[in-house]
Amino acid sequence: MLKIENLHAEVDGKPILKGLTLAINPGEIHAIMGPNGAGKSTLAYTLGGRPGYDVTGGSVDFAGQDLLEMEPHERAAAGLFLGFQYPVEIPGVSNVQFLREALNSQRRNRGEAPLSGGEFLKVARAQADAMGMDMDMLKRPVNVGFSGGEKKRNEMVQMGIIDPRLAILDETDSGLDIDALRVVGEGINRIMRTPDKAVLLITHYQRLLDYVQPDFVHVLSAGRIVRSGGKELALELEREGYGALAA
Amino acid sequence: MNLALPSVRQEAWRWSDLSGLEAIADAPRGAVEALDPSAFFLDLGGPRLVFIDGVFDAASSDPQGVTIGPVDAATDHPLGRAATGTGWTLSLGTDHATSGPVEIVHVATGGANHLPGRIALAADAQASIVETFLGIGWTNRLTHIDLAPAARLMRSVRLLQREGFVSLRDEAEIGQAASLVTIVLGAGEAGSRIDAALNLSGESAFAEMGGTLLCRGDQRQEAAVVLRHAAENGASRQTWRAVAADRATASLAARVEVARGAQKTDGEQSLRGLLLKRTATVNLKPELEIFADDVKCAHGATVGELDRNALFYLQSRGIPPAQAEALLTRAFVADALDRIGEEKVREAFVKDADAWLDGEGVSGGSAT
Ligand SMILES: Nc1ncnc2c1ncn2[C@@H]1O[C@H](COP(=O)(O)OP(=O)(O)OP(=O)(O)O)[C@@H](O)[C@H]1O
Ligand SMILES: [Mg+2]
Repeated sequence: MLKIENLHAEVDGKPILKGLTLAINPGEIHAIMGPNGAGKSTLAYTLGGRPGYDVTGGSVDFAGQDLLEMEPHERAAAGLFLGFQYPVEIPGVSNVQFLREALNSQRRNRGEAPLSGGEFLKVARAQADAMGMDMDMLKRPVNVGFSGGEKKRNEMVQMGIIDPRLAILDETDSGLDIDALRVVGEGINRIMRTPDKAVLLITHYQRLLDYVQPDFVHVLSAGRIVRSGGKELALELEREGYGALAA
Repeated sequence: MNLALPSVRQEAWRWSDLSGLEAIADAPRGAVEALDPSAFFLDLGGPRLVFIDGVFDAASSDPQGVTIGPVDAATDHPLGRAATGTGWTLSLGTDHATSGPVEIVHVATGGANHLPGRIALAADAQASIVETFLGIGWTNRLTHIDLAPAARLMRSVRLLQREGFVSLRDEAEIGQAASLVTIVLGAGEAGSRIDAALNLSGESAFAEMGGTLLCRGDQRQEAAVVLRHAAENGASRQTWRAVAADRATASLAARVEVARGAQKTDGEQSLRGLLLKRTATVNLKPELEIFADDVKCAHGATVGELDRNALFYLQSRGIPPAQAEALLTRAFVADALDRIGEEKVREAFVKDADAWLDGEGVSGGSAT
């Protein structure tokens, strides 16, 4: 589904990704761990097409399409979802308005009919309920005044509504309390654990991986994947830290 | 046409460009396609008036209590003083109200047209007026407003002219506990100057003037408001939002004067500009002149661009860039238009602003 080959990327002229290779097949969940500043968020933003993140080498194929040639909104319509490490606050735009426009833009882009207000609200309500989020919060401006955990929960509600093929979730677990972590973990499984979908989970902690069991765990360090393994690698890292990898 | 136009050397006109005005004024009339003014009525159940090039069009009007004739209004304002002679007057007796909001549609077909208007509300009277400006040419208006104690007036003005220039001059006396709210939307392609002198002469009077100027191409729009608190306990609000795209210029000058005796004045000004392109210009000039010591005056003035993080966030969820910009710009102007009291009017104005944001251009008539 996603094939990253020898990817090089710069942020503001500074090389961050230095030859990253990774393949994700449908039905798989991959976790990426790695020290602060390793380039994990840079990888997520680069795949999302964020301005200022310049690809200087390599290729990315997403379901047979050249991902790097697509605009950010086209990547979304093609089925890519980016869960932000720091979700953005948008005063004056309600979650409902934002998500309906997002979903219908994607549907139009794919040649599908847009959802009516009523149809959309039904979908939104179901997803908000599943994440334990009050509908009233969905009527408020996007992330404005939301706590750190509420913002992350909101990312998952959005993922549920948009129903992507590939989700790249950047530290969706950070800032969540113990109960929210379980709700979010179950949400990821419910929405994404199907044979035709895939997830790339960026995380620092084993906890989320107790709920969302990864098929593969990779260590990203200094802009490259330096080690890959099964879910036991996460446990090993938790025990030994990243220092041992350098050896 | 011979008019002594103000020069940019005068402080109150330094952001104006009136150099094209004479040429616009000298252009012939009738240079606009058939435009159906009734399509711009909102069916609010009140009096309806149509003026074509400043001349009352009885056939398409239902003026009810609004009268047409010489208007008791004089000014030394350099543009406003050209608008004398026959015009419209709304005069309401004590405790009276119109059957519904007064709707006035001004259609210009080229050249210059000048028209005075007068609104005089006796004690406790209430009125709402919605004015729409369409067509091309120079449209010049002087509006005199007199509010007796506890009278209330809501004015909503939308500028949708396709070309040319619209100049509005408002002069108001606001009596004790009376209230005047004027909200302006500039969503056409013409230049504009919205100019007002509002005097809160009675105790506990309330005045609000604000709105949204949307500018693109080489368009220039500006508002210049002087709001004077002359008595105690008054309150005033000015919420303006200016959006400039391309090479356009939007300017806001809002001044609050608090006279010596006007204690307990509560004034608030919020001027915000949004640059959609680096080549555009927004000028903001908030001014306070306070001669009383016990007053509360808050003001804020900021110019910025759309938040890049927010734009990427929206796009990452599938919203195309132009739509993402429109969504954020709509949010930016929303609080200025929210001040319009009647829901139907507010919705119509928001729709006009949306049409501008969606790049559909103006509905105010195309030139032939
Ligand atoms: N705009 C920028 N200009 C220069 N350097 C940048 C810029 N943005 C990020 N970087 C650098 O890129 C490197 C990788 O950052 P990135 O956010 O991808 O790390 P990360 O692996 O997600 O870290 P964390 O675990 O702390 O979230 C860091 O050294 C960071 O300082
Ligand atoms: Mg990060």
